[in-house]
Amino acid sequence: MSKNRVSRRQFLNYTLTGVGGFMAAGMLMPMVRFAVDPVLQAAGESDFIPTKQKVAEVTETPTRVDYTFEQQDAWYTSEVTGTAWVYKDEKGEIVALSPVCKHLGCVVDWNTDKSNPDHFYCPCHGGLYTKDGTNVPGTPPAAPLDVYPYTEKDGFLYLGKAEPRKEA
Amino acid sequence: MKWVSQDIEMFLKEKQYVDTAVLPLLPVSFGDDIKQSVAMTEFISLLSVQLERQFRGRLIMLPGFAYLRSAGEDSLLSGLGKWETELKAQGFKHIFLLTSDSMWKSLEDRLEGGLIWLPSLPLEHMDENYRNSILDDQVKQLLNLFVQKWQNGE
Repeated sequence: MSKNRVSRRQFLNYTLTGVGGFMAAGMLMPMVRFAVDPVLQAAGESDFIPTKQKVAEVTETPTRVDYTFEQQDAWYTSEVTGTAWVYKDEKGEIVALSPVCKHLGCVVDWNTDKSNPDHFYCPCHGGLYTKDGTNVPGTPPAAPLDVYPYTEKDGFLYLGKAEPRKEA
Repeated sequence: MKWVSQDIEMFLKEKQYVDTAVLPLLPVSFGDDIKQSVAMTEFISLLSVQLERQFRGRLIMLPGFAYLRSAGEDSLLSGLGKWETELKAQGFKHIFLLTSDSMWKSLEDRLEGGLIWLPSLPLEHMDENYRNSILDDQVKQLLNLFVQKWQNGE
């Protein structure tokens, strides 16, 4: 006979505590997991979307850069195409402008209006923007074109979500 | 603007800027030409989405005129005529009919709205990127056509 004989009472005590512990843990774990979830949430790929445009190849003339990303609407994923006008300004910094006219949302084009060269031109109602995206007074749009934040990764241009310009 | 509540809100507010209505003509049939009508309907639907994105501020993209190909020419023409009369009465200066069905091409002179006929492309065999770039090209061609009509109308 071993010295540490476990009595029936002790055995039941241990078993009950053990099972109770598991049950409590089973209830608490999901709660804790829910509570700390935002902290554990991976920062993800951030919101920058890759484009096929090489940063080194950006010129001073605005060029059209298309990018696609997957948009999730509930369980339905669809591929959405976006566009940006990208160029280098005098300081050599990259500017990425949204092509959506601030008037009623048509798509603006660079340098297509013959009477106003080197402007962004909206074919719908003749909205004009200068190269830096500022709206020309006297044309319908009331705000400058939105600007994409951007980063560079492995030599390629990554675009964020277009933001309205604060100044002007 | 699309035929959805959100866009119609904008339409009601900015009515003076919207002077163009686009009506896609979508054929339906269950005979031997079922595949062909599906391809045409599909192509025109996809194209109208892109077109709307390009010109959303000036045109309203109507939900589409679906018709049976087996119906007679005269009944189709009178059905479409009612649309055109209504749109004109609502003050749309430019009405565009978008179609792949060559039947309409032969009836063009009996239509009031500007008919835009594009041969449908076999989009079902293309992967998505290629398809989008093809549609983009088509829309670019239409862009000039629209701008021209707008300029002539002013």
